[in-house]
Amino acid sequence: MGPLVPQEIISASWNLFIAFGIGIGFGFVLEQAGFSSSRKLAGMFYGYDTVVLKVFFTGAITAMLGLLFFSLFGWIDLSLIYVNPTFLWSAIGGGVIMGAGFIIGGFCPGTSVCAAAIGKIDAMVFIGGIFLGIFFFAEGYPLIKDFYMAGSFGPIKISDFFGISGGVMAFLVIIAALVMFKLGELAEKKWPREEY
Amino acid sequence: MSTRNIIFSGMFLLGMVIAMVPENTTKPYKLTAEDMLVEVQGAAEMVSADDVAHWIISQDPSLQLIDVRSPDEFQTYHLANAINIPLSVILKDEYQDLLDQGVKMNVLYSNGTLNSHQAWMILRQLGFENNYVMQGGLNYWFDTIMNPQAPSVYSPDEEFAKYDFRKAASGALGGGGAVALTAPAKTKSDKPKVIRKKKKKAPAGGC
Repeated sequence: MGPLVPQEIISASWNLFIAFGIGIGFGFVLEQAGFSSSRKLAGMFYGYDTVVLKVFFTGAITAMLGLLFFSLFGWIDLSLIYVNPTFLWSAIGGGVIMGAGFIIGGFCPGTSVCAAAIGKIDAMVFIGGIFLGIFFFAEGYPLIKDFYMAGSFGPIKISDFFGISGGVMAFLVIIAALVMFKLGELAEKKWPREEY
Repeated sequence: MSTRNIIFSGMFLLGMVIAMVPENTTKPYKLTAEDMLVEVQGAAEMVSADDVAHWIISQDPSLQLIDVRSPDEFQTYHLANAINIPLSVILKDEYQDLLDQGVKMNVLYSNGTLNSHQAWMILRQLGFENNYVMQGGLNYWFDTIMNPQAPSVYSPDEEFAKYDFRKAASGALGGGGAVALTAPAKTKSDKPKVIRKKKKKAPAGGC
């Protein structure tokens, strides 16, 4: 049956409309969970608040288990799901830049929009920074093209790369997540902060 | 047990289940039986042997002939530039890129049309486009393109045009004679004889 959009059970224009609804919902939940506070996000790096890690990993695991079980029941054809192609070096470079921006600014792109929506000026400055970054990346693309395209693996999955089944990989991710959650809670106890 | 621990245990258990079950590699069919019936009745997958001959001679770059017979049969005879994908191995991964593409026009053929149609239906079920079947198969190919029979003198002009083309194609493709024949000028003798019916005799005798 699924995925619904590539098989045109849902048309491309309805897809955009539904994406808009999901986006609104996502922003609402982010704001409700307090993610529009840059202190909460920075807490991830100082160790006093690891909610961000837990929320996003729980979300990823829910989606992962959902897709695998849907596939098991024959509700979705995983071969039709778009897999983002991997460019190893730009993924590492981008991760470092994103992580640094995360600590310095106290937002990730999604939460910055949330925080800007409730009127936080630092978030608006952060969004300005995002657009500056996009501008310089686009204009400077010829300079970094070689680095950007290096280490191309195509649309590969880690489970395919190591030759294990998707289910085993999912189980390993879940164990890794649970270990990280536990470490996160230990960190929260070790470096507590009363008010932030 | 706190809610958090219940959720974590649930995740762990579901993860264990998904790690142990085999991956579902079956793909749902792209076409329902009704869709397939419409396709089969439309017969849009058929291409005529004459068209194939024309494409081969004009070296149409978009044509890809695929021989679905056994490798032995393929070795004995195959059409020019055809590749051999026997029906029994048509699902192998190595042929996916050839069969599932949007650039070339794959024309499947076998001796008759049974195997080529079987192959076509399998590919169609997988959702592959651009696969066609050569009408009549190789048997028809030999009868019409390689050894064309002259139409009877009373045939319409299109039949002669077709015959001329087949005769020429046969020459170009290494078949029988290469002499193109034009429709014979119709002479008086070609006119069908008018057989007059005998007049009925008046009934003998009387009332």
